[in-house]
Amino acid sequence: MTEFAAAAMASGAQLRLRQLTKAFGAAKAVDQISLDVPAGAFVSLLGPSGSGKTTTLNLIAGFLTPDSGDILLDERSIADVPPHKRNIGMVFQSYSLFPHMTVADNVGFPLRMRTQLSRQDARRRIDEMLALVQLGHLGTRYPRQLSGGQQQRVAMARALVSHPRLLLMDEPLGALDKKLREQMQVEIKRIHRSVGTTVIYVTHDQTEALTMSDVVVVMHQARVSQVGSPRVLYEAPANLFVADFLGDSNLLNATVAQICGDEFAVKIGSGETIRVARGTSAATQGGRAVLLIRPEDISVTTTAERAESQDVLAGTIRDISYHGDTFRLDVAVGTDVLKVKVARERGAGMERGDRVFLTWRSGVVRLLPAPDGMNDADNGDKR
Amino acid sequence: MTAVAEPRAAPLLRPTLSLNARLLPALLLLPCLTWIAFFFLAPLILMCWRSLASEGFSLEAYSVLFTSPLFTKVMVTTVKTAAIATVFALLLAYPLAYALTISGSKVRALILVFVLIPYWVDIIVRSFSWLILLGDNGMVNKALMGLGIVSAPLQLLYNPFSVLLAMVQILLPLTTVTLFGGMLRIDRTLVTAAKIHGASEWQAFRTVFFPLSLPGVYGAGLLVFVLALGFYVTPALLGSPRETMIAQTIMVEASQLLDWPQASAAGAVLLIITTSIAAIYNRYFSLDRLWGGSDK
Repeated sequence: MTEFAAAAMASGAQLRLRQLTKAFGAAKAVDQISLDVPAGAFVSLLGPSGSGKTTTLNLIAGFLTPDSGDILLDERSIADVPPHKRNIGMVFQSYSLFPHMTVADNVGFPLRMRTQLSRQDARRRIDEMLALVQLGHLGTRYPRQLSGGQQQRVAMARALVSHPRLLLMDEPLGALDKKLREQMQVEIKRIHRSVGTTVIYVTHDQTEALTMSDVVVVMHQARVSQVGSPRVLYEAPANLFVADFLGDSNLLNATVAQICGDEFAVKIGSGETIRVARGTSAATQGGRAVLLIRPEDISVTTTAERAESQDVLAGTIRDISYHGDTFRLDVAVGTDVLKVKVARERGAGMERGDRVFLTWRSGVVRLLPAPDGMNDADNGDKR
Repeated sequence: MTAVAEPRAAPLLRPTLSLNARLLPALLLLPCLTWIAFFFLAPLILMCWRSLASEGFSLEAYSVLFTSPLFTKVMVTTVKTAAIATVFALLLAYPLAYALTISGSKVRALILVFVLIPYWVDIIVRSFSWLILLGDNGMVNKALMGLGIVSAPLQLLYNPFSVLLAMVQILLPLTTVTLFGGMLRIDRTLVTAAKIHGASEWQAFRTVFFPLSLPGVYGAGLLVFVLALGFYVTPALLGSPRETMIAQTIMVEASQLLDWPQASAAGAVLLIITTSIAAIYNRYFSLDRLWGGSDK
């Protein structure tokens, strides 16, 4: 993560989670989570609902006390510090602006609570913040008089006004429509660049996490499934869950037929053999595994023009749908069905029932460990 | 300025209702409306009519009322007693209602039971129980004398103190439940937001929760005040003639002096005072919120 440390500005805090655990009754909401967040980074906690991301955020904020484990902010444990003394900013999903205060009073709230600033100095800080979120002219309005997007900006201004070194955002764009959400994503990134605060951003929207973050933490069933940059997560997912959760994917059950050098030859359901770079895969000969091919990596031809060292699968178009920017095909190959994205001009001539050939650049196919239930054959071989 | 106004939900097109569907609400309302018409509206109109037209149309009953020093005095006592009782009921009920909002479901159920049990006990029984407690041979005086704090029994009954004490006790459950209802409507994440932005527990209460609870306080205040204006049994049992309230006067006029026009006029005046207070209040504190209307 050193590449981010360089970009980090002085005002962001470093956050470390150490074996953090929190259970509600018998159910563990967060199970032994450890995480290093470099100063100034924009880190997303991404996962389906119930994966523990919001609980993690509430533990960092101090609304919940961990059962075990520790939270370190700049190497200092804050597990026993009450929320109001943590000097953290937070943006809530419902904005949670104080309805009985004007926009300026909402933004000034942390200053009144945390600082001894004079009235003029506070006024100046509030104006600066409102200018930063481009709402300079709305200070005297009440929250109910603002649109959702504007309320979101006020919530950002309030969270950042006392220069917290850590900013928590809990699905802040969940209540906005798609256009406004994309606009606010850009806006939040701009504000992050200009203030340099470390940001922990909770979302269940993978696009949001991929486009905004320096680091994405994928959470699944109260644990961290994988941590990495958006590119690493998308292009080199460590497991089935991450591969499936991020983007569209073709996941094919496969058996390792042969290992030759740094390449595996794996057999898929239709009996065809596909070559995969070994990479970090720990699969062994005869072991089960899952093959990942992203739909956009596959190219479709109507003739079997096989290039050197390329695999080709023959199949039949089962379904074709138009999505504006692309056509999406379901291609039956033996017992498997592969999703494929095709450019507009290519897809226009294709029809259901057409016989097609699928190829891809070598290197885009990845081998993932098979899910737990299928590991028996695997384990037998490892012994 | 890049913010875009968000699209609002398009107004729902009202489907054309069949005759039956339009009649249904009316049918559902009918029993209730009939009841109100016969047992509330009709007597009310009759009362107003009687106050104006005993022997031909005249405002005599009203002019007698407003020139009578006794009536004025009783009216002042009534408003004053009701106002003081309301303030004390609010002061006592607020912490209780707040405890209800922040407590878990088990503790909440327990507190609610203790709040509501007295509410289900008849008002006369509750007033009488104060007689037993506060009388010369009552528990309070016996305890005080037993402990040697006083040598002779204190005069705890038949004064403003005993009337107010009992009234507050009787009004407390309703006040608590009304305040609690208002407090439940406050978004708790606002308090959380205050805390993460630097407010201690007390500061978060003072700057966020308390101001947001005030509409509920105003609403409960009005409700309890109007109710207190009409108290009859409590001042009659626990007060002296000096604590006489308007309802007692009306009762005396009607049942002992048999002066129905006079009693009706007093009733009408009480009604007018009550509704105008409610109207003025509503203008400033927007009581809609209490009944679940939108927060303005």
